[in-house]
Amino acid sequence: MKSTVKYIMALIVAGSLFSSCKKAIDLDPTHTINGDDFFETVDEYDFVLTGTYQRLKQNGLYGGVNGGSLFLSAVDIAADNFYNGPDNLGNLNTAFRWNYTADNPSVQAAWDDAYRVIQHTNLSVRGIDRFAATDRLKVNRIEGQARALRAFMHFELLRWWAADYDRNSTALGIAYVDKFDIEQMPARLTVKQTYDKIEADLKTARAMVSNTDKPIQSATSTAGTNRAYIDRLVCDAMLARMYLYANELDSAIKYASLVINARPLASQASFMDIWHDASTAEVIWSIKYQAAEPALAREIYQTAGDLISWEPVDDLLNLYDIGDIRFDAYWADVNGHLVLGKYSAKATALGNPDGVTDFKILRTGEMYLIRSEAYARKTGMGAQALADLNALRSVRGAVTGSETGTALLTAIQTERRKELMMEGHRFFDLKRTTRTVNRTQSCNSFCTLLPANRAWAFPVPQTEMLANRNMEQNPGY
Amino acid sequence: MKRSLLFTLFAVLFTSFAWAQQDVTGVVTDTRDNSPLSGVSVFVKGTRSGTTTGQDGRFRISVPNNSILVFSFTGFTEKEVAVSGNSLNVSLAIAQTNLQEVVITGYTTQNKRQYTGSVAKIAGSEVNLQPIGSFEQLLQGKAPGVLIQSQSGQPGSAASVTIRGKGSVLGGTQPLYIVDGIQITGADFQSINPADIETYSILKDAVATSQYGSRGANGVIVVTTKRGKNAKTVLNYDYQYGVQQLPESQLVLMNSKEKLDYELYYDRPGGANGFGWSQADYDSLSKVNPDWEEAMFRKAKTQQHILSATGGNDKTRFFISGSIFTQEGLVKTTNLNRYTGRVNLDHTAGNFKVGISATIGFSKTSGTFENDNVITTPLNAYRWTLPYITPYLPDGSYNLTDPGGNPNPLPDLFLNTNLNKQIKAIGVISLEYRIPFVKGLNVRTQWGTDFTDDQNENYTDINTQANQVVPGLSGAFNAGSLRRVRTTGTTSINYEKKSGDHSFGIGLFNELIKRSTVTNGYTGFGLIGPIKNAAGITPGTPTNNFIPLVAGGETEEAIISYFAIGNYDYKNKYFVNLTARRDGSSRLAEGKKFVNYGGLGFGWAVTSENFMANQKLFDNLKFKVSYGSAGNAEIGDSYEALEQFGPSSYNGIGGLRLVNLKKDELTWETRSTLNAGVDFTVLKDRLSGSVEVYNSITNGLYLNRLLSSTNGVGSIVTNMGKLRNQGVEIFLSYDLIKNKDLTVNINGNWTGNKSEMLELDGNDEIVNGISINRIGERANSAYLVRYAGVDPDNGDALYYKADGKTITNVYDPADAAIVGSFDPKGFGGFGATVTYKSFELSALFTYQYGFDIFNQARVDVENPQYWFSNLNRNNLREWQHPGDITDIPSPFNDFQATTTRFLEKGDFLRLRNIIVSYSLPNSIISKWKMGSLKIFAQGQNLYTWHSFQGYDPEVFTGVLAGAHYPALKAITIGVSLGL
Repeated sequence: MKSTVKYIMALIVAGSLFSSCKKAIDLDPTHTINGDDFFETVDEYDFVLTGTYQRLKQNGLYGGVNGGSLFLSAVDIAADNFYNGPDNLGNLNTAFRWNYTADNPSVQAAWDDAYRVIQHTNLSVRGIDRFAATDRLKVNRIEGQARALRAFMHFELLRWWAADYDRNSTALGIAYVDKFDIEQMPARLTVKQTYDKIEADLKTARAMVSNTDKPIQSATSTAGTNRAYIDRLVCDAMLARMYLYANELDSAIKYASLVINARPLASQASFMDIWHDASTAEVIWSIKYQAAEPALAREIYQTAGDLISWEPVDDLLNLYDIGDIRFDAYWADVNGHLVLGKYSAKATALGNPDGVTDFKILRTGEMYLIRSEAYARKTGMGAQALADLNALRSVRGAVTGSETGTALLTAIQTERRKELMMEGHRFFDLKRTTRTVNRTQSCNSFCTLLPANRAWAFPVPQTEMLANRNMEQNPGY
Repeated sequence: MKRSLLFTLFAVLFTSFAWAQQDVTGVVTDTRDNSPLSGVSVFVKGTRSGTTTGQDGRFRISVPNNSILVFSFTGFTEKEVAVSGNSLNVSLAIAQTNLQEVVITGYTTQNKRQYTGSVAKIAGSEVNLQPIGSFEQLLQGKAPGVLIQSQSGQPGSAASVTIRGKGSVLGGTQPLYIVDGIQITGADFQSINPADIETYSILKDAVATSQYGSRGANGVIVVTTKRGKNAKTVLNYDYQYGVQQLPESQLVLMNSKEKLDYELYYDRPGGANGFGWSQADYDSLSKVNPDWEEAMFRKAKTQQHILSATGGNDKTRFFISGSIFTQEGLVKTTNLNRYTGRVNLDHTAGNFKVGISATIGFSKTSGTFENDNVITTPLNAYRWTLPYITPYLPDGSYNLTDPGGNPNPLPDLFLNTNLNKQIKAIGVISLEYRIPFVKGLNVRTQWGTDFTDDQNENYTDINTQANQVVPGLSGAFNAGSLRRVRTTGTTSINYEKKSGDHSFGIGLFNELIKRSTVTNGYTGFGLIGPIKNAAGITPGTPTNNFIPLVAGGETEEAIISYFAIGNYDYKNKYFVNLTARRDGSSRLAEGKKFVNYGGLGFGWAVTSENFMANQKLFDNLKFKVSYGSAGNAEIGDSYEALEQFGPSSYNGIGGLRLVNLKKDELTWETRSTLNAGVDFTVLKDRLSGSVEVYNSITNGLYLNRLLSSTNGVGSIVTNMGKLRNQGVEIFLSYDLIKNKDLTVNINGNWTGNKSEMLELDGNDEIVNGISINRIGERANSAYLVRYAGVDPDNGDALYYKADGKTITNVYDPADAAIVGSFDPKGFGGFGATVTYKSFELSALFTYQYGFDIFNQARVDVENPQYWFSNLNRNNLREWQHPGDITDIPSPFNDFQATTTRFLEKGDFLRLRNIIVSYSLPNSIISKWKMGSLKIFAQGQNLYTWHSFQGYDPEVFTGVLAGAHYPALKAITIGVSLGL
């Protein structure tokens, strides 16, 4: 009897220890968000849009220490503004030597990081149509910014990967990705088709951000914290830049004017403040960097340790007239070396030692130069072109001029070189104008890039060629 | 007189028949620790008369004169001793012959004879004298099929363990570790005392690993710790002292004169003499040749104290131990200090048996960065710095005047700290109840926890290179904590029955494993005051950039299982093992969480057959074959199948970013293995060995399926491949000489493994950087453009085109070809043990061959762009003038790293361990009132034969990234004292 009780007890104990709960293995993350349980309200899309802006700070794009920064530093290094400095550890040498190959990790990083922003723009609007009827204005605010970002990143890709920029070119453009689907294998569009897509996205975006539930940011404030996001003004500036590349001159003039009228050039007094992030005078769009994020252009000049990896060529420095406020804003004299100061101003002037600085990616100064160039390219509008050019010159404290014709076009390019140094323009400006790089100082065997060279466009990364059977490589690679 | 005559007659008679009786008494002990062995059967050879030893190991037996006594005990080698005199002390050694061992699989224990799977067993006592902090490294070369690669000599670092070839490409390849029945985290053993370990059992084939189902695909290492014995209490004290030193590097950089010659007289882009040295500079600097190795490294000391006690009676047995282990690293400032304690208790009360094993270890590790090619890493910087720059200035301060901007490694080494404090506790409690009225039936439940608490502290001093990327540029202090709790609960009902010629056993199991991991960390900046730790952090302001970074995370995972393990034998000749298991994992996609595993094995003891009775060749011969499956889900993070968004912020606003793609089809990798083997002993047990062959196929192999990066992601983990590993394992042990005073044993093992990619989901190949998986080729083959030397006319590097014949000076990644393999084709170990009286000498060599290493560390010192740093001596052969015949291209030629120029053979043979020991004879130690006293001296890694251009070719990822902290050479002496 007693042993039967024991027997039953033992079985009960054993049975209770046999856990049989399938629930034990249904576990959900607590410190990340499960995408299947999210996107239930339109407000939740806002978080993903914020993440999209953060993606702009990936190393391969604008700020990156080791071999990154392909859309900022590399654009000037591949051109004619810098030569090897004493502390160069080989960073960006590939861009300087134009010897990028399809397996170059920096080239791959630029491609991957740009498309990763695009991925996130598409995630920011995935299924947002469900709320279009009920929350139209909120949807406008989120989708408008996402579309503009998407168009802009495609334009960045076009600048490096398309061999030419002609608006109607049937040459290889880039793959335009406008939905999130990891299984896609998009083919490259023609340059024309790419422009069509960028233009359409930007125009839709412009309309959307013009009609939102709440203002995105102030159009007029010059507070240093302003202009972090994309609003109508940013769309206008993006359109102006694109139309200049596409040589659609009337449109370039139209949109540049919209920006110029809304946000005038900075006064000489506030110009320096722009580079300290103390002011956003004439800043249209600024990618905001925070402490502990990479300092821009550190691969050119790093204040910590005073590392001069690349030094400006004398040609460039000599272009600035005496009294040109840009000279002091852009260049710093460190122990007898003139070094890039544009992105270390915050460090030296404000005692903010690592100099993490915002990237002023679109400015009114560029808009003047866009409009001036567009006028100059049109027949019979040299006067307007010169007026814009001189307006900029005089605000900056440079000597004005009276150029016409080809000299005017050259002067505009020279002014672009001075004004937009290390803002992601020089190589592309050469590419769309003379299609020749002529270096004059310490360039060893890398002094000239001729029009026929393959290096005007990056190769499509080897991994992409392996993964995407519809992808076409650029000629020469 | 008459009686005496009769007596004499009897005496003569008895003597002539050797029947004179005498009493013999003595003690039987275990050779390992001289502890008494109870229950040893003692009998006169050729008779059935005998006795067994008592609790204290003592026996008393009455034997005829001149007889031979046989001492036999399960698990120990039988010993025959001729009787001479009235007292006889005998020590028995653990059985070396495979066929007499016990097989421990974690869930079951079976006689090796009856077991049909493939399990290698290594006694802790064979290996635990080696002065290594992490126990898995002790097993190198000891067991066939088990590849152990320890890349780092950093104290406490873990090795890579691969059992029977890598069955996974992307998923984990490290085995499952089971200690006293519960899973513990792999590669995290610095807080565990190897001397507590009784046995290592390495489960290799599917009938064994399928018991672990979804976690078993990479093999299982089952560790049991020492338990108390039913014997008199024995106290043991062990002490070791060792000295370690740096092996010699075969990558020789330029000395000062060579480097200056190179700078001054070799043309390069930017021109020669980049630093503008004058002749006077040249003359003085070329005479400066500071010893950077001296500045970085030291002769490092190791010390260990272990105290243990074991004993018990027939109801309660115990083993307790405590240890202190301190190891200095070769690199100055690196070290490991470990303190451990253990209590193992077993108690029997009627039909109940309870067992507890509990260990707690505390370790404190001070480390330095390794295995990267970051310029601030001291192990890179000391090589890259210019050879004519001294470590210190004459005033004793750090020399920061390197004109090439190469950082001095010493501030980062000496001023920064990189500390890990770990508390590790493993506790297991088991309860077994023998159901009294059904013979052979019992229920058992066992619950255990592997608890780890890791506290990391990194201090970055303001005066170091690492500070240059610190926000605020004023030093940083980072603290991170990780707390992981893994609980394993196993409950089973077991039944055993023997009836006539049949006997069988079956166990039904249920198991739940839960793991939770919590991480927290912060980094604070502005370490500008005198306090160089958390208290020294300066609060952040908008201008000083000292804004602290904070992070935290928590994950949970669970596996639930139901399984059955059965065995059957007929006439102790034919054996069957059977496992069936069903596992569910929280990590995998909905609807794909559960999967079934199973294993079936047959064994045949041929020598037990009647037809073998008359043959003399084989003492033992057994064939076995098994087939089954085990799984692997070590892929990605704990929620790998879900689309996950993680934190992100922009402009001070919190947001989300995609961190993991959804994988609706993600399921287990399943590895099925067919194993066939033969175990034998011949030549009167002098030669024993085993040969096994295996064929294992991994289905649903995790691979990164390439995606168009235009989608924002370049690849996704997919169950898409099929991989085969085939191999042969041979183990042989031969007693060359075996007599009373002298034994000489030689043994060796060899494993050959070949992997082949069978399917890639419709693709022909998947390239991942410099490795490729291509159908019909070995997994992870090296994939590089083939270097074809230097064009003597212009100094251009030459490459083979894809066709392998055409030579070009244009580097094109599309010309890459399969040029080698990163995984060894073969490996093993061999050695010898000589005992003479109380002396023992044993040596172990280990070897690995048939693999390549991509030497990134050499790339970084052969790239002529880095002329401002020190370079490989090879660069003195650089092409300079038309007609130069050399293998180093012109510095004007585009330098390309990913070519076969930097792929090297990794083959090596290593004198892994040599040890000589002396046990003082009983006559002396008994006078000193001691149980045993043994002294020993050993050498570890004393010499390695290899051709790799670096310190050591033992590199497990196929790439030596740089900053190599090599495995150390060590000499250790020690003493082991038993009371």
